[in-house]
Amino acid sequence: MTQKPKVAFFDFSSCEGCQIELTNFGDADFLELLNHIDIVEFREAMSEKTDDIDIACIEGSFTRESEKDRLIAIRNRAKIVIAYGACAHTAGINALKNHTTDFKKAVYGQDADQPHLNSNDKALPISHVIKVDYFAPGCPMSKYEFLNIVSHLLHGKEPVIPTYPVCVECKRNETICRYDVGDHCMGQVAMAGCGAPCPSQGIPCEACRGFCEQANLTALENTLINKAGFSASRAKDKLRMFTNALLPDTSNP
Amino acid sequence: MNHHYITLKDFNLFLTKLVNQKIVYGPVARKNKFVFDLISSPEQLRLDYDVTILPPKKIFFPPKQHLLHFDGESYKDCLDPKEQIIMGVHNYDIKAIDQLDFLFKEKNPDDHYLLNRRKTTIIGSNIQTIAARSFWGSAGAGVEPKGHDGFLTKLKDGFVFETRTKKAENLVKFAKFIKAKKTQVEQAAQINTAVKKKCPAKLAYSSAEIAIKTRLAFKNNELWERLSKDCFSCGSCNTTCATCYCFDVQDSWNLDQKSGFRTRYWDSCMTVEFAKTSLGGGAVHNFRALRRERFRHRVMRKLVYLNDKLGGPACVGCGRCATACTADIADPVNIVKEIMEA
Repeated sequence: MTQKPKVAFFDFSSCEGCQIELTNFGDADFLELLNHIDIVEFREAMSEKTDDIDIACIEGSFTRESEKDRLIAIRNRAKIVIAYGACAHTAGINALKNHTTDFKKAVYGQDADQPHLNSNDKALPISHVIKVDYFAPGCPMSKYEFLNIVSHLLHGKEPVIPTYPVCVECKRNETICRYDVGDHCMGQVAMAGCGAPCPSQGIPCEACRGFCEQANLTALENTLINKAGFSASRAKDKLRMFTNALLPDTSNP
Repeated sequence: MNHHYITLKDFNLFLTKLVNQKIVYGPVARKNKFVFDLISSPEQLRLDYDVTILPPKKIFFPPKQHLLHFDGESYKDCLDPKEQIIMGVHNYDIKAIDQLDFLFKEKNPDDHYLLNRRKTTIIGSNIQTIAARSFWGSAGAGVEPKGHDGFLTKLKDGFVFETRTKKAENLVKFAKFIKAKKTQVEQAAQINTAVKKKCPAKLAYSSAEIAIKTRLAFKNNELWERLSKDCFSCGSCNTTCATCYCFDVQDSWNLDQKSGFRTRYWDSCMTVEFAKTSLGGGAVHNFRALRRERFRHRVMRKLVYLNDKLGGPACVGCGRCATACTADIADPVNIVKEIMEA
């Protein structure tokens, strides 16, 4: 791209934490980034809008019917779409309702039937509605990875996102495996690229970046049961945290 | 070259002096594990360690290594070798480093490895504690450890220090070493021979027998399918391996979008993307797309393919893969047993 690309940010069902993460670059770095891209829409930081977008960055999951038209409209005016953050990528924790039927009652109690609380039965990745060109996974997404994707696009290169599991990065960091201290972990099936910060701080990986390629979920359930002492139902539930919408029984609209 | 002796007390003084003047790495405790790390005081050095999470190769062949820096117009290599000493390397790791030295030197000599390696002094030490999954006593049993500069063997009241190169001999002047007695040298040799029989696990066949039978099992899909059923393709058996040397190279730009680095990272043939190749026009082919194909490939690389070149198997029996594999399917002892009995 020879001219500065026009970049816009949009949010759907999410906490908008990934937009905040972007502003966490700090003034100097963020302003340096602005030398290379034109931000034309960004709700957390400005009120202007435009019709012509080179890169649309979309945060949040698809969980309300009305979001469909908005997503399609964004896709129609954007050359490239990046889904950023777990909600847009895997539907994230929004999809925790996907295998339940009483979620509204559980969350809102006596207000469950209020019309403004209506949403679809399942939260889904935005890729169910529109074509997504690139993903910046994670909860929150990694601002460095996001920058890496944008850098590659600026240079006309394909962004490189690992498809291997988090274990690769734990080993590179020489982090003690959670299973070696009597804990559990989902790093074996979780997509890497984050640098494995959670296990290095003594926290099991929750697969917020979604599953790695050919994730062996059966083997994970067995390991959680045999090595971490989980019950079968807890092992199954463990797979739902950020990835419920990716499981076969909960991924269909 | 020579055999020296130093008392335990003087050894501590030796270490103190050494770490004050040189960059010294060695095994240190990290929670319930050991890792090779910088030593700043003698008590940190744990020569009684069993095995470290990562092999000592990480010191001169780091998991992430910048190869060159570019600024949009020119580029410069990132070679920056430093004089350093690694203390307390066990024999299995000495053998592994010797293999890497050969592999990084042949065909296209790899300066990013070799320059670091040449400035590194390797001091081995006898195995005092035996790791639960180790089988170095029987892995490549005919291969003698070589390529290291010196070797420490702990006796009751001190160490016998065998110097094999000038680099090691130069260390003797740091403290009160005396010439080792013949009985002390013999005792050290005996300790290092005796320990080989103490591994809990053992390969029941010779390297040659294993290599022949494993190669014959290449097309036994049922076997590889069964062995790899629980494989996560997580690569932990590769990334903890003392002899694995594959790496991936990626470019990244700094914020200015002009300057940046070309960087290499340890790679792993067990991951799905390792064997993905471009067919052009966005098309991709994975020549080891199946779990069982990747599993088989690792076994072949460790037990068969490199044997002629290396003079023995590319497995030194450290047991790190067996320990790191959360599905517990990576242990070469079990894999060899399955292959031989198939």
